[in-house]
Amino acid sequence: MRFSLRSGIAATAVVTASILGLTACGGGSPAPQGTGAATSGEVNLIAYSGVWQDQYTKAVIEPFKAKYPDIKINFVSKRSSAEMLSALQGQKSNPNTDVAIMDQSVSESGNNQGLFDKVDATAIPNLANVPDKFKNKDGYGPVVMVDAVGLVYDTATFPKAPESWNALWDKQYAGKVNVVAPPSLLGITLTAITSKMQGEDYTKSIDAATARLKELSPNVQTFAPNPDEYQNVITGQTVLGLGQNARGQYYSDQTNKKIGVAFPKEGTAYQINTVNVVKNAPNAAAAKTFANYALSAEAQTAFAKALFYAPSVTNVNLPAEVKSRVVPTDGSLNIIPLDVSFLASVRDKWTDTWKRQIINK
Amino acid sequence: MSITQTEPRQADRPGHEPGALEKAKVARDRRTYIALLVPAILGLFVSFVLPLAYMIRMSFNQGAPDGVIVETFTLDTYIQPLTDPFYWRVTLDTFQMGVIVGILCVLVSYPVALFLARTTSKYKGLLIAIAIAPLLTSAVVRTYGWMVILGTNGLVNSSLKGMGIIDTPLKLTNNMTGVTIGLVEIFMPYAILAMISGFGRLSYQLEEAAGSLGANKFKVFTKVTLPLSLPGILTAFLMVFVLSISTFITPRLLGGGSVQVLATEIYDQTTGLLNWPFAAALSVILLVLFGAVIAVYQRITKKIGG
Amino acid sequence: MNSTKLSIVDLTKRYAPGLEPAVDRLNMSVEEGHLVALLGPSGCGKTTTLRMVAGLMDPTSGSIVVDGKDITHTPVNKRGMGMVFQSYALFPHMDVAQNVAFGLQMRKVPAKEQAKRVAAALDMVQLGHLAKRKVRELSGGQQQRIALARALVVEPTLLLLDEPLSNLDAKLRETMRTEIRSIQQRTGATTLFVTHDQDEALDMADRIAVMNGGLIEQFGPPTEVYERPNTHFVANFIGQANFLTANVVSENGPATDGERYYKVDIEGLGTFGAVGHPGLTGTHELVIRPQRLQASLHAPLGANSITGTIERVSYTGDTLGFSVRAGERLLHAQLMTSSADMPRQGDTAHLSWEAADAYIIPKTPQGPAS
Repeated sequence: MRFSLRSGIAATAVVTASILGLTACGGGSPAPQGTGAATSGEVNLIAYSGVWQDQYTKAVIEPFKAKYPDIKINFVSKRSSAEMLSALQGQKSNPNTDVAIMDQSVSESGNNQGLFDKVDATAIPNLANVPDKFKNKDGYGPVVMVDAVGLVYDTATFPKAPESWNALWDKQYAGKVNVVAPPSLLGITLTAITSKMQGEDYTKSIDAATARLKELSPNVQTFAPNPDEYQNVITGQTVLGLGQNARGQYYSDQTNKKIGVAFPKEGTAYQINTVNVVKNAPNAAAAKTFANYALSAEAQTAFAKALFYAPSVTNVNLPAEVKSRVVPTDGSLNIIPLDVSFLASVRDKWTDTWKRQIINK
Repeated sequence: MSITQTEPRQADRPGHEPGALEKAKVARDRRTYIALLVPAILGLFVSFVLPLAYMIRMSFNQGAPDGVIVETFTLDTYIQPLTDPFYWRVTLDTFQMGVIVGILCVLVSYPVALFLARTTSKYKGLLIAIAIAPLLTSAVVRTYGWMVILGTNGLVNSSLKGMGIIDTPLKLTNNMTGVTIGLVEIFMPYAILAMISGFGRLSYQLEEAAGSLGANKFKVFTKVTLPLSLPGILTAFLMVFVLSISTFITPRLLGGGSVQVLATEIYDQTTGLLNWPFAAALSVILLVLFGAVIAVYQRITKKIGG
Repeated sequence: MNSTKLSIVDLTKRYAPGLEPAVDRLNMSVEEGHLVALLGPSGCGKTTTLRMVAGLMDPTSGSIVVDGKDITHTPVNKRGMGMVFQSYALFPHMDVAQNVAFGLQMRKVPAKEQAKRVAAALDMVQLGHLAKRKVRELSGGQQQRIALARALVVEPTLLLLDEPLSNLDAKLRETMRTEIRSIQQRTGATTLFVTHDQDEALDMADRIAVMNGGLIEQFGPPTEVYERPNTHFVANFIGQANFLTANVVSENGPATDGERYYKVDIEGLGTFGAVGHPGLTGTHELVIRPQRLQASLHAPLGANSITGTIERVSYTGDTLGFSVRAGERLLHAQLMTSSADMPRQGDTAHLSWEAADAYIIPKTPQGPAS
């Protein structure tokens, strides 16, 4: 028995391409440019789609292009980190992606699968500004932005922000609650938090959490909100649901405070994105230039202003009106530490539990 | 001696190899045919056979968390869903959804198709084009349309509320009701097309003949129109059934996570959990289900067509 | 015995207001047991008339009376007629026996009697052995007979045939002609038969209604329609005809059937004998069938003779046709072939006729009918 990743697909693709007489793509002539800051070439970036893509393009990519006019950036967008991981696995033997910005739990898995390269401060000088808690202990891609899970609510229904996760269970809002079920990271986080709230160690068992979440089920309008968890509240399909602070803040502005985001008093969990350089990346040098820029105070500030992600570097001073709306990373917010690797390992199992016991009562 | 008798003798003339020329010509023709077929066969091989073979092979691998695939040969990926009542229920729900959507879709499409097939209007072409025009918009867009219409504050609920028929909004979306409504509407053009093309044996004259033999309008319909449109109805049903059980967009978008069918399950396994072997095994199961249904369909059509 | 089965009174069909009527104030009565052919070119209104009688189409005005009862507004399924369609319209999802039994089923005839009558109907068309066959396994001629059996088994008040032979090949058509006629005579079914084939009409019908432009131009027995055409159109449509414009000079005494002999003047050719209705004067068209002309290469054979030059000869084995030019006129003659001398192009020929064979069309000509 041997371990292998999706090399088979790539092989198939190559065979297919040559049969069709097409040029195999991604081949090119990458010629590793060695270390040192490259100022030309191209970078294939894989990251989130939707509003994230729009805002990141505006706040980070456009200024980067202005600064490095000879570096071209191709943005490949995916709806989830899992989809990014899947894409990277498919290209493992012959990558055509250089940089990936994805959830920490997923990039961890990527690190373990040998999909990413280690980085250091020689190639990425701005790494020096990343505090240790946001660096990868094995030297892989560092944290590039921080967000946290919260409750997204309709401000008309909640003149005062909900204070507890228990608001989700409140019969008043029966049929007006949205939850994003696992495999989504939001659902995984809710499961872990519920487990904690039930006085359980989620690494051992989630039976109590499951029982509690079963009681939530009748309240839930949708377990897979579409187009997303924010629009559901904005359109009034639901009044309360799971969401992330950053996008919640952004949509709050977009809708003239129709929605709000709150961090419940029981504590919450971070949603952290890392920036990763793909192993054997076709444009490794330019990739590092981009990763370095992503960690710059300039980019971090701009993105915090654009989409309210908290910076992961120390040399940033956000304006007060922005600072008050990004997730605090200074310890002032009650954060429940979650074992990200553990959660990644039980994602299948918990997803199954939701499907069999919680969604289908 | 008649002309027909002399004809074959020509081949026996001295200096003429018997049949050699013909043989060469046949061989050349065959080569031409094969050469002409090669692109199609190759295309089919690359676009259909190869992925299918790859998928089947994948289904015997073993999935590990976060997309790691253990290359092996195991039946676990099949044993697991086939011995798990959960997947039996998902399969059953899938089948049931296909049947219900198929029946409803046929019911609402039949009158339209019958009208379009029988009309002698000079706008017939235009009318057919209008009936199938929704195909020009993607199923995703139309599904979003239904989300707006069926939502808590959607058109249906606010109208019913406005008319004082209901107090609390009906739950028309994020459940099987919504998925069914959406699928029925989305597949109507397919059903209409399938029916129109399946109404070949139906003719105005047959209905007139039945009328002249004493059948009233109802009898004409039950004894002539309906039996003769049965092949079209069956084809439409099969088509909608197959499309319904294989689509994941509408069940996912309008199902709100509560509608668990094989297609959404495969989608979740592929994109959410990255368990490709398991997803491949589920796909093969779905494929077998298709095969079974199509086999039954062919039996039935043979019966009613013959 | 001969009572009126069907009367059509002022029947009119206009497909759309403002359009020329497809059928224009048509009047006709059909006697019990008769086979009446509605004969005419396509678009003459014959099929429209048949469909209105069948109840498949509503007339714009006028009425249809069967057995003294006005059925103009009776729905098709209550008229009790049997119809054979051009395409036969056999039900493809039923076997032969089920097809034939359909009408009986609709009439709720008891099963036992149904079986008996279906068997009898199939025997009548000599296809009893095909009862369990699928429709598509039948030949065109067999389908045709089954369609006839299906229409007749219900003992229809009227049998309606819409170009029933047009989908058959020429040989089969002749056989079926005889067969339909004999079945019709045996059953005594009053029959309305739409056709555009004059031979069919002449061969089968008791009466022929020659239709043109939504009107009946002539209604009568085959011999009358052929021998004594009322109009140029009828003469031209049925059989071949030579038309000569003639002025009536004088009446020359009685002929048979109340007709009169006339002396007529054909401009530039002289005076000739002809026959026609009493009391004709002025200019008329004379019709002479090519077969009624006699020809001689040597000397005129009688008084009514025209001399000219042969322009064209056509030999078909049985008959010999030739065209003779006399001044501006071209006359066609058709003779049975014989071993005697063959006329050749350019020969001088004398064409002559019996006065009784030159018929004066009673209506004044209104230019060539189209």
